[in-house]
Amino acid sequence: MDFFTACVWAAGIAIGIAAFGCGIGQGMGLNGAVQGIARNPESSGKVTVTLLIGLAMIESLCIYALVVALILIYAHPQAAEIIKTVAAVAK
Amino acid sequence: METDTHKRIIAFVIKSNWYLFIVATLLGFINTPFKFALGILCGGLLVTLNFHLLKRTLYKAFDPSKFEQSKFSLNNDNMEYSDGRSILSGVIVKYYIRFAISGIVIFALINRNIVEPMGLIIGLSVVVASIMAATTLELTRLIFKEAV
Repeated sequence: MDFFTACVWAAGIAIGIAAFGCGIGQGMGLNGAVQGIARNPESSGKVTVTLLIGLAMIESLCIYALVVALILIYAHPQAAEIIKTVAAVAK
Repeated sequence: METDTHKRIIAFVIKSNWYLFIVATLLGFINTPFKFALGILCGGLLVTLNFHLLKRTLYKAFDPSKFEQSKFSLNNDNMEYSDGRSILSGVIVKYYIRFAISGIVIFALINRNIVEPMGLIIGLSVVVASIMAATTLELTRLIFKEAV
């Protein structure tokens, strides 16, 4: 059972760190874009395209972390074998 | 010139996004088990819709016709539209709603074992792959332009 507890811990820490990093990155990007447009409103088209691509890349990182965290909790590839091993040891 | 480049990049990303999604899904349904292919379909659809919604939100938020030069300036700490609405809070609220819905959908797909997680990851990489393709294309174009 220790293994599954470790999986849940790992998933929680993974998504926490990912959300923290992505949040800071997106916040900085958005802040920079808004300030750039505030200084030069004519450049809004160019800034928006760059921001869109940057935000999509950062967001996908957080989604990957979410998927990995969910795999660790709900769809661990070795879960069945580990349960078998634990049951065999318990017998 | 530069605006044309930006328009071209975004058009390329959107087009290649749909092409990659369709090709990956078709290849998935032909070559891989049903759950794996369903993962590619769901992941690709989710991330493509997400990208289009993000585009819509950003274009609406940063539409130059929406804010006035006098109100939208660095002197104004809130960086708001002329009617007083904050630009950042609007974008961030919409982002979190979108992200929460994506999270719930991915959770349901994995938790109920509807899709294969590896297929889902491949599907979720469609947008990243199309952005990488656009970057590579632009870099290649730049290198060849400089060489000539």
